[in-house]
Amino acid sequence: MSASTGWNGVVSHLHITPRAFLPMRAQEAIELVAGEGIVGDRYRIGTETGFYSEKPEEGRQVTLFEAEVLEAILRDYKMEILPEEHRRNVTTRGVPVNHLVGQRFRLGDCVVEATRLSIPCRHIEEILGKPVFDPLVHRSGLNCKILEGGTLRIGDAIRPL
Amino acid sequence: MPRHIELRVAGASPAGPGILRVTLRDPDGWPLPRVKPGAHLDLHVPGVGPRAYSLCGDPAVQDAWTVAVKREPESRGGSAWVHGLAPGDSVAASMPRCTFPLAEGAGRHVMIAGGIGVTPFLAMAPVLERAGADWTLHLLHRGALPCPADLAPFLKSGRAVAHDTAAQPRPALESLLGPHRPGLQAYCCGPTAMIESFERATATWPTGSARAEHFVPPVLPPDPDARPYTLVLAGSGASADVPAGGSMLVALRALGAKVEASCEGGICGACKLRWLEGVPVHRDRVLTPQERESHLMACVAGCASDRLVVEA
Repeated sequence: MSASTGWNGVVSHLHITPRAFLPMRAQEAIELVAGEGIVGDRYRIGTETGFYSEKPEEGRQVTLFEAEVLEAILRDYKMEILPEEHRRNVTTRGVPVNHLVGQRFRLGDCVVEATRLSIPCRHIEEILGKPVFDPLVHRSGLNCKILEGGTLRIGDAIRPL
Repeated sequence: MPRHIELRVAGASPAGPGILRVTLRDPDGWPLPRVKPGAHLDLHVPGVGPRAYSLCGDPAVQDAWTVAVKREPESRGGSAWVHGLAPGDSVAASMPRCTFPLAEGAGRHVMIAGGIGVTPFLAMAPVLERAGADWTLHLLHRGALPCPADLAPFLKSGRAVAHDTAAQPRPALESLLGPHRPGLQAYCCGPTAMIESFERATATWPTGSARAEHFVPPVLPPDPDARPYTLVLAGSGASADVPAGGSMLVALRALGAKVEASCEGGICGACKLRWLEGVPVHRDRVLTPQERESHLMACVAGCASDRLVVEA
């Protein structure tokens, strides 16, 4: 079975922050702008103020993270990481995030294309004061560019195209 | 600016002799990163560099950070710059770090502050109060109190005791601290001479039961075998002495080398460099044994020889 079919996910949490280092804040809905990013988020192209904005990358327009990884880290490392702490925008449930590099899929009414796996960084340990780097290796989320924008809400479906 | 926290001065007002109390907020009032009591903030002083100041506000206040800075006559530029700040000014800061934490699990906390050294304890006090902890702050000062408004409730409750050494003999730290007993944790922040007295007074106490704030710069996670070495750029011949356990990436940047870096933890591969001479110590998790014969990851690599030449 191809990784691009046979799964059916949902948006579990949404978070943005306007500038590097600041806490992510939960949102009921976020506005995705094709080719740019999320309204109000630090990595929207043209108004970047994120930690990595000196190295612009279209794949930072919207980032995904599996809720299941948070549960696995709690199980395996006895470490609680909250949805606002992984610093990706969309916390998903039921989405095989690591299988989707190079694929296009539907995020609510929007369409995105995954460009690469996210990589954990020491920066996140500095912000959280928790040793999250090692537990996040190889499961730190997915970077995507936005092909078709729109409003994304908690509870929206995430599906293969 | 993205590698810094961008802040705006929301308020700046006198708070005792030669002291300015500065409140900093996000430009849009967004919450700031959580801080621990006892943490300090590096403010980036234009033309001077980072200068560390203890955060003295209640850590439970999430949308403002407060520092109280005394203007020092022998200032290297930091306190004079802070005293020129006015509401609306932009300030760049690094992520706060806590090298002077509260001891969790202590049964009683005794704090010794010298003058403006009271600032970290002003952040600890409300945390200890909410926790119902047993604590006493002894403040040694000359003349007018530092941060009188912040201290007032604790002076009133008796948690804080002010010792004006202009009006009465300077108390011996041993008498303020008392003998060590299980569960007692002592802290000191003040001038160097006071910290030295504190360390003498607690020299026989169990390890870790007496803490002093030194403002030591942070170092990388220790490598017990780390040694100092000279880093040389093959192109320009420029060189820098890297202390034992020091960051090669920091040294490269100080030499003006343009080095990409991202994770700074040895896995993303962004800061891969070719090395030409010396014995690098690889601590990355990204290079193959073959790659290590010619390359290193500057963010985590060390050196086992006296000299390391890299292509940068």
